[in-house]
Amino acid sequence: MKGDQFLTEMIRSELAEIVGPEYVSVSDSDKLVYSTDWAWMPQMWLDRGQPLHPPDFIVHPGSAQEISEIMDIANKYRIPVVPWGGGSGSQGGALPVFGGILLDLKRMNKIIAIDEKSLTVTAEAGIIISQLEWAVNEKNLTFPHYAASSNCATLGGALAPRGTGTVSTKYGKAEDMVLSMQVVLPTGEIIRTPPVPQHAAGPDWFRLFLGAEGTFGVITEATMRLDYIPEARFLRAVLFDDLTKALEAGRLMMTRRLDPFVIRLYDPASTASRVKKILGYEYTGAYMVIGFDGDPELAELQQKKALDICANLDAQDLGSEPGEKWWKHRYDFYYPPQNLKLPWMYGTTETITTYDKIENLYWAEKRAVEEGFADLGIKFIGHFSHWFHWGVMLYSRFIVEEPPEDAQEALRLHNRIWNTAMQAVIANGGMINEHHGVGLKLSRYMRKQYGEAWPMMLKLKKAIDPNGIMNPGKTGFGF
Amino acid sequence: MPIENIIDTIENCRYCLMCRHIASVELVTHKETLSPHGWALVIASVKRGLLEWDTDTVDVIYSAPDHGNSRAHCATKQPLPEAIAAVRTEIVNLQLAPPVVYELDKALREFGTPFAQRKPGVVPGEGDVALFVGDEAQYLQPKTLAVVSDLLVTIGIHPVMIGLGRNNGYLASSLGLKDTAIQLANDNLAELQASGAKRLLVLSPGDYFTFSQLYEERLGIEFPSDVELVELTTLLAERLEGGEIKFNKFAQDIPYAYVDPTHAVRVPDRHDHPRQLLAAVMPGEAKELFWRRERAHPVGSTALQFTQADIAGKLTTARLEDAQSSGAKLLISDDPGTIKQLETTAGKFGLEVRGLYDLLFEQLV
Repeated sequence: MKGDQFLTEMIRSELAEIVGPEYVSVSDSDKLVYSTDWAWMPQMWLDRGQPLHPPDFIVHPGSAQEISEIMDIANKYRIPVVPWGGGSGSQGGALPVFGGILLDLKRMNKIIAIDEKSLTVTAEAGIIISQLEWAVNEKNLTFPHYAASSNCATLGGALAPRGTGTVSTKYGKAEDMVLSMQVVLPTGEIIRTPPVPQHAAGPDWFRLFLGAEGTFGVITEATMRLDYIPEARFLRAVLFDDLTKALEAGRLMMTRRLDPFVIRLYDPASTASRVKKILGYEYTGAYMVIGFDGDPELAELQQKKALDICANLDAQDLGSEPGEKWWKHRYDFYYPPQNLKLPWMYGTTETITTYDKIENLYWAEKRAVEEGFADLGIKFIGHFSHWFHWGVMLYSRFIVEEPPEDAQEALRLHNRIWNTAMQAVIANGGMINEHHGVGLKLSRYMRKQYGEAWPMMLKLKKAIDPNGIMNPGKTGFGF
Repeated sequence: MPIENIIDTIENCRYCLMCRHIASVELVTHKETLSPHGWALVIASVKRGLLEWDTDTVDVIYSAPDHGNSRAHCATKQPLPEAIAAVRTEIVNLQLAPPVVYELDKALREFGTPFAQRKPGVVPGEGDVALFVGDEAQYLQPKTLAVVSDLLVTIGIHPVMIGLGRNNGYLASSLGLKDTAIQLANDNLAELQASGAKRLLVLSPGDYFTFSQLYEERLGIEFPSDVELVELTTLLAERLEGGEIKFNKFAQDIPYAYVDPTHAVRVPDRHDHPRQLLAAVMPGEAKELFWRRERAHPVGSTALQFTQADIAGKLTTARLEDAQSSGAKLLISDDPGTIKQLETTAGKFGLEVRGLYDLLFEQLV
């Protein structure tokens, strides 16, 4: 917002009247820090000494009522509102690309209730996931959304982009764990979705807010499903020399309902690079970690059946140690300097499709990226980490270790690589993402992804957010 | 800390969010900027000309608590607190630090402490064991010091007192006053050497961290390799376990909780020791704070109490609210600085605060 300074100060004063002066900032340091999330694009931009478009106001609301009143101001002045949880999204979903009010939800971090009979927790959306997990652990319960970002992401941040955690294969995605939510609509109404998700009282409209990334409103509270902390947890690693057989092993485990909590299959390129770097194993082939938990007798039997499947597909049983070590260090992949980090160029072009298409999709994307940008020494790696009865997610990534120094040139190259990857994904029956969200980065692919259904999405957006104030530029809306 | 390590650390931490779950200042202020990632990003942005050191950014950098949680919970142990201390030294040298920093520098140089206007005392003597007193025990919790002296004598230890009224050097280092920290460290180690002691007892994890790690990493001063550094709680717990000392239990069962002192996370093997000692004197079951042991948060007994008193107060209030939620009525800690901070506002929460050593001495058989 480049408007008149008197107007800016007027809005700041109105916001301060709602949340208190302490919870509104227009400082340069805050504007810079909140101008970037965890996406490569803004990080690279700042890295090259280029300023980003900052928010005009950083606001820390303390309640849904305060957010409702903030919406009134945003509608009155027609200024954007960008919800912010942990800022850990990788697609630019929290970037304030048009300025406006950045709503940092982390002040709303209370646990409202833990129901030990129904196994649910109700919490405000700004709570950090690991803190929520510690709190329910005190009652021998777990919130099984073990995302790599759990230490930094918020509960709302898990729901808004339909996030996934490490054990989703058994326990589901964040969207599968939510029973109900409180949402502040763009027009200021505070609503509650039905108390339980499985019912037949009309369409499942509460899911509109899952995956909307704040474009349909602000999730302020959620009731989430919990589980008992598993009595036993068995990890095992196997090695395939053939990705085809490894994918078939995973498919058989899922379609025969062996109920693994994790199947993490690294492609040979990832096995040779990431697994070697983080875990220190020098394997040739496709390294797969499988895990079973719960009742020890059942879990042991499930593991035996899974290992039989792997053995029949010529896998080498590596024993429990490489599986346990992976479990212990599964998040180390994301700590610097071991993570993918600047000055490298990288992108996670994760996708999902059915079992009949997944291997073709993998090879098609790999070929398109590696052959299309061979002159850059580009690397394409991937792992298959979230498995369903009908298909599996591919966590594919590209890495350019020596990208152009010029920020503009680097950004254009990044977009070209993404275009190539997404075209291959869509052409081969994949979705443009599985759990990282659409954000800004994938916004331009939404029309193509949805085709004839897209105008319906636009009508919904117009009905719910008539002034288009909510997180413009994200999930395909607001251009 | 070598400059290349500072740069590496800042570059690594600026876009890493993986320690937010234990970031104490962010938890009480809710501000992304006041988190490990925020501090690193502000520093990196100044280096790139996107921000400059001014009242706003200096204020941000002096909001970092320097209590070790980010490093303790980092998978690659990034020394961010050390890098921030080094950056503060740059800010001090640019004459851009908050005015109170320069006032503190003067006090630390002249008196060795900000808590009194007299020079550190010297108790001449030699012996196998020395006790580092410091300035917090001497000036903020003299009762604790008296009890510790009596307790040690009663169990047959007659330590030489060193650092009587002198800061261990942490405060100066944390504020970016590196030269002053070096002076304090050298003075403390000179007294240690003069005592001839081969074992140095300390009263807090903050002291333990300062002697065992901070001196070398931040100041380039080696702690003497022939001197064993021992926290008093560790020594007492070992003696209790070995049957060398015994305690009676109190008759009255008051719900109590041990408050892990500021810097406790920097000494990962210590957490059981004070709890073992308390179990020997307290009749009931201990309550536990949510932010405890490896994830313990500090009270306001860091440099924040001087540069950012509001944040220091919020940290202390958060500990008291945590304790209140646990159901405890009595809070117990061992570090004099922590006890002092808790005492300032515990009454408002209906909580009583006692020193661990007071209780132990009362119940020593």
